[in-house]
Amino acid sequence: MNLLIPIALSFLPLLWTYAKLDFNRDVRPILSDKCFSCHGPDEEGRKADLRLDIEEHAKDDNMLAIVEGEPEESEVIFRIHSDDEDELMPPPEIGKPLSEKEKDIIEQWIAEGAPWADHWAYVKPEWTDPPMPKNSDWSGHWIDRFTLTDTENKMLVPAKDADPVSLARRLHFDLTGLPPESKTVKSFVKDPNPTAYKALVDQLMDSDHFGERMAVYWLDLVRFADTVGYHGDQPHNISPYRDWVIRAFNDNMPYDQFTREQLAGDLLPGSSVQQKVASGYNRLLQTTHEGGLQLKEYDAIYAADRVRNVSEVWMGATVGCAQCHDHKYDPYTINDHYSLASFFADLADRGFTGNKLPTDRPPEIQIHTDENSLKLRDLTKEIDHTLSKKKQSELKNLEDRKGKLSQSLKKAKDANKTQWQEKIDRINQQLAQVAKPAVLQKYRKLLREKKGVEDKGRWTMVSQAVKPRVMRVLPRGNWMDDSGPIVLPAVPEFLGKIDSDKKRLDRLDLANWLTDTEDGIGLLNARVLANRIWYLLFGKGLAPDLTDFGGQGTPPDHPQLLDNLAISLVEKDWNLKAFIKDILMSRTYRQASLPPNGYKSFQLARRLPAEFVRDNTLAVSGLLVDKIGGPSVKPFQPTGYYRHLNFPKRTYEEDSGESQWRRGLYVHWQRQFLHPMLKAFDAPSREECSAERPQSNTPLAALVLLNDPTFLEAAKSFAQKISTHGGNTFETKLTYAFEEALSRAPDKYEHETLASLFTEHSNKAEENWTPIARAVLNLAETNLRR
Amino acid sequence: MNIPLSTTTINRRAFLGGAGLSLGSAALNMLMANNSTKPRYLLPKARAKRVIFLCMAGGPSHLETFDYKPKLDQLHNQPMPESFTKGQPIAQLQGKELKVQGHLTKFKKYGQGGQYISDYLPWTAKMADDIAIIRSMVTEQINHDPAHTFMNTGTAISGRPSMGAWVNYGLGSEAEDLPGFVVMTSVGGRNPQPIASRQWSAGFLPSRFQGVEFNSTGDPVHYVRNPKGVSAQDQKKLINTITALDRHRNLTINDPETDTRIAAYEMAFKMQTSVPELMDVSKEPQHILDMYGAVPGDGSYASNCLLARKLAEKGVRFIHLYHRGWDHHGGLEKYMDTCCQLTDKPTWALIQDLKQRGMLDDTLVIWGGEFGRTPMYQGKGDIGRDHHIKGFSMWMAGGGVKGGIGYGETDELGYHAVKDRVHVHDMHATMLHLLGIKHEFFTVKHQGLDWKLTGVDHSHVVKDLIA
Repeated sequence: MNLLIPIALSFLPLLWTYAKLDFNRDVRPILSDKCFSCHGPDEEGRKADLRLDIEEHAKDDNMLAIVEGEPEESEVIFRIHSDDEDELMPPPEIGKPLSEKEKDIIEQWIAEGAPWADHWAYVKPEWTDPPMPKNSDWSGHWIDRFTLTDTENKMLVPAKDADPVSLARRLHFDLTGLPPESKTVKSFVKDPNPTAYKALVDQLMDSDHFGERMAVYWLDLVRFADTVGYHGDQPHNISPYRDWVIRAFNDNMPYDQFTREQLAGDLLPGSSVQQKVASGYNRLLQTTHEGGLQLKEYDAIYAADRVRNVSEVWMGATVGCAQCHDHKYDPYTINDHYSLASFFADLADRGFTGNKLPTDRPPEIQIHTDENSLKLRDLTKEIDHTLSKKKQSELKNLEDRKGKLSQSLKKAKDANKTQWQEKIDRINQQLAQVAKPAVLQKYRKLLREKKGVEDKGRWTMVSQAVKPRVMRVLPRGNWMDDSGPIVLPAVPEFLGKIDSDKKRLDRLDLANWLTDTEDGIGLLNARVLANRIWYLLFGKGLAPDLTDFGGQGTPPDHPQLLDNLAISLVEKDWNLKAFIKDILMSRTYRQASLPPNGYKSFQLARRLPAEFVRDNTLAVSGLLVDKIGGPSVKPFQPTGYYRHLNFPKRTYEEDSGESQWRRGLYVHWQRQFLHPMLKAFDAPSREECSAERPQSNTPLAALVLLNDPTFLEAAKSFAQKISTHGGNTFETKLTYAFEEALSRAPDKYEHETLASLFTEHSNKAEENWTPIARAVLNLAETNLRR
Repeated sequence: MNIPLSTTTINRRAFLGGAGLSLGSAALNMLMANNSTKPRYLLPKARAKRVIFLCMAGGPSHLETFDYKPKLDQLHNQPMPESFTKGQPIAQLQGKELKVQGHLTKFKKYGQGGQYISDYLPWTAKMADDIAIIRSMVTEQINHDPAHTFMNTGTAISGRPSMGAWVNYGLGSEAEDLPGFVVMTSVGGRNPQPIASRQWSAGFLPSRFQGVEFNSTGDPVHYVRNPKGVSAQDQKKLINTITALDRHRNLTINDPETDTRIAAYEMAFKMQTSVPELMDVSKEPQHILDMYGAVPGDGSYASNCLLARKLAEKGVRFIHLYHRGWDHHGGLEKYMDTCCQLTDKPTWALIQDLKQRGMLDDTLVIWGGEFGRTPMYQGKGDIGRDHHIKGFSMWMAGGGVKGGIGYGETDELGYHAVKDRVHVHDMHATMLHLLGIKHEFFTVKHQGLDWKLTGVDHSHVVKDLIA
């Protein structure tokens, strides 16, 4: 908006003119929003055979819709100004009139020669040398040269650097989702060495909590949850996938590999167990286990679900909109939709019914902790040592035969029993010859032990390719309509094609194409990802619509900076830690949020995400069990919250012991009834891709912090901690409490206010710090990342 | 019409929350700013101020409630003519023999309009002249979960706002210390339908518009009661301390959200008193309790109907009641008895109570399930019927609806809606129209598209239903 500076020309009072227009920034959004639904990519909905989304059509000599440099010759201009309701565009009944400003922009653009440009998001990013801001002292970092130039252009002053306490807290929350320990902040504040900041960044990025923090975001994108989502919302086995994501971020797996393993881990040559776990991505969609489901209908529902997710996650695109007809605003056709769906037609994810908990969704594999994997390896060795493999199979054969004979014996008529018994006796003799009884006994004991360990493994859904089912274009998305053409796996046509000799492309080809920076859309994908990481670190994407880089999405404020970020990500070979660190080292990242008027900051203060609200409270109170990974956990939850679940009915059994105090990202994610605490703080149900969480501020969230038993237990624990470790006086204790929760000391007003709470509280048990602990944990600042 | 948010008390703002998602707040901000330019979607006049939606989850049989088809009895036990069923979606009867099942009850004509109503609904029959029965409903989803989602959000894809959220987004809330969208489910009856909280989700609208579930047992709202051992006075003191400290600190850090947060805490405290008070029906006069058949604290549909009236009095914009026992694949006669005994009289009482308080005129009441049931027999333990989406019945009353009429017809066997078909989107369009909202213009931008409750295809307001 600020880029359109009206220049009032006194001799032309009715006409506004703007600084030279940029087609993608100023004009295309208007055409897209107001014109494309009838004059755009959708063939079926197109009116008057006119397209305004393609330059040649819009400027066609016969149509004269847009005549370069000649507004008065252009039909478009005539139509948008028409007094006749039958001629006026957009038609009044559509309810999307153009504002006067929008009309002026279109007119000015045509007068300027109607320069056209391809849609920004479909053009490969190009490197722009960072500009030279006037103030060359501020920073030499290439990112800062962009942001400072922008700030200067807006006649603003860059916001000051964040104070060291805020900065230390910011880094901790951004990189680990946990608050800093007070001693860490203290030494950071005191450290005069300019490398202290970098050292802290390195330390936090090396922490295993980094992977947890990043996973919280990724799990939203890929809609990871512990339950199936539809109807009975039964649990399914998938938590090892979550742990794989955490580990991948901690190991700094390059993003292209990260993509391949999730979309096609099962198809990689010599696919490892972990790669199969990663391929669980394809199983994360919502499924139904309702009796009376129609298989074909759900094939279509699941196919569309996968298209929506893969396109939103890796393309920043809403290809899902082309399920029923060509996309109204972007060049995705209905064929593209079903061709993309066809990549996933090799997944036989269908026809599961029944009321089992957890529900059956084969294929699943069982995985083990590192410790148990070692145990299993050792046990197997010992077993083989005790009895040779040959003898083991001999033994097994004999036992199988014995088992069958015993069955026959049971069923046999009395007269025949002896006959069967003799056969069994013969087997017993043979069994005795296989090994000595002591050996056999040891062997059997080891087998039982092995099974015991195996049973502790966790099951997880994986992908497994079968013969692909036939994929047809479904006209108007109607699954009962078989009249559409059969399509094979293919990428959206306007984005190119995958060069291959294969008869049929597969998910691995798709994954490669998504990250291939030469022949695929790797660079476009990098722009989507770079924008999302910027959002995580600043609070707002450079392009504000994190899942829609299409024509209806708002173009980026700083397209060149965004392009450079995308290129730098690719040049770093998709090394996410290096990419993030580069941004963290900029001065822009270190700016104070919430600056006064006249100052510009790229940093936005924001409440912590739901999981970190929980983690922060547990960490401050000393209750947090910061183990990484494992099955999902069930903290306290209001009684009866699952009473609407059925098939089968459910009662929530909360965990005891350390599982009660795990981080928020491990909380059992029941899609239909997400834990009320997570829900109150805007965590999504994960039914669909979610790239940006809203930030609400409601009484329901206040009630959670005030009264949820988890938060009350935390306050009690924090009170205990204050009493024990806070020194001997009220003053030292209060300071301790503030430093633990806020990394700073209380001021005079805070001191007085809390002193009065301390003395006036009716529960006068000699020293009751719980009310103060509750107050401190409830403060806005405690739950704010700024 | 009274635009509820044209005055901006701090408390009301507080419930509605802070900045939220920028994409959703546009309409409300416009209202809140007391701006002279009304949103384009507002009609000059609204007939209804609020909606009470009585959702009979599971799908009640239209053929045992409102849709009388003599031919159905004539063809009883004969094969269902293929001309009706060929190429049609089918749920649990896939691959089974399809035969006609005659009515399992009798119908009589009631009221001045002579509406056919079955013997299962004697109390509804008494108010035949208050309700407009739509006998030509169609929906697009044949399984419960997506069908509910479709009925509530206009699409089967998850993540879209429920109609209660839409209505609050468009009109704001009139309730001072309550949410604008309240959901209650009743206990009692047979094995209940699962109902997902998706059904009252705000979808892509800011989460402050989501339905808040009020529970008739346990805490009426999650965490609304003080922790054990904490007195109301202590809690008040605590909240005062928190807000004082937040206010003080914000002089330094200048976070605009903090003001909203302070108001949210103040409102939270008010709710701690107002919600339990509201949910307590024991102070209602005995004759009112008797009229509904409500026993305080029993969590029944009767109690919820009474609470719905109280919520309506408090200005709650959208009240959504679920009764979940209507999925009668078998034992239909027995279970119809159960369901109707639990719901028929309380529904009648709700309408009468609203009427005697002069509230029926501006309260729109809608009754119906997510779909109807097949004219074909299903025998999952005694006689029953399968899910059916091509023709079923709902009714509307109050809020500008013409009472005592029937609208639309199904074919001679009650299979296809053949005359004056009313799609779920048309029902939504009509509901919005009565609330003073022009549905074509009532859009929200999400992922670059303009979303409507009433979908992309042309939906129409059923003008004949309007008085």
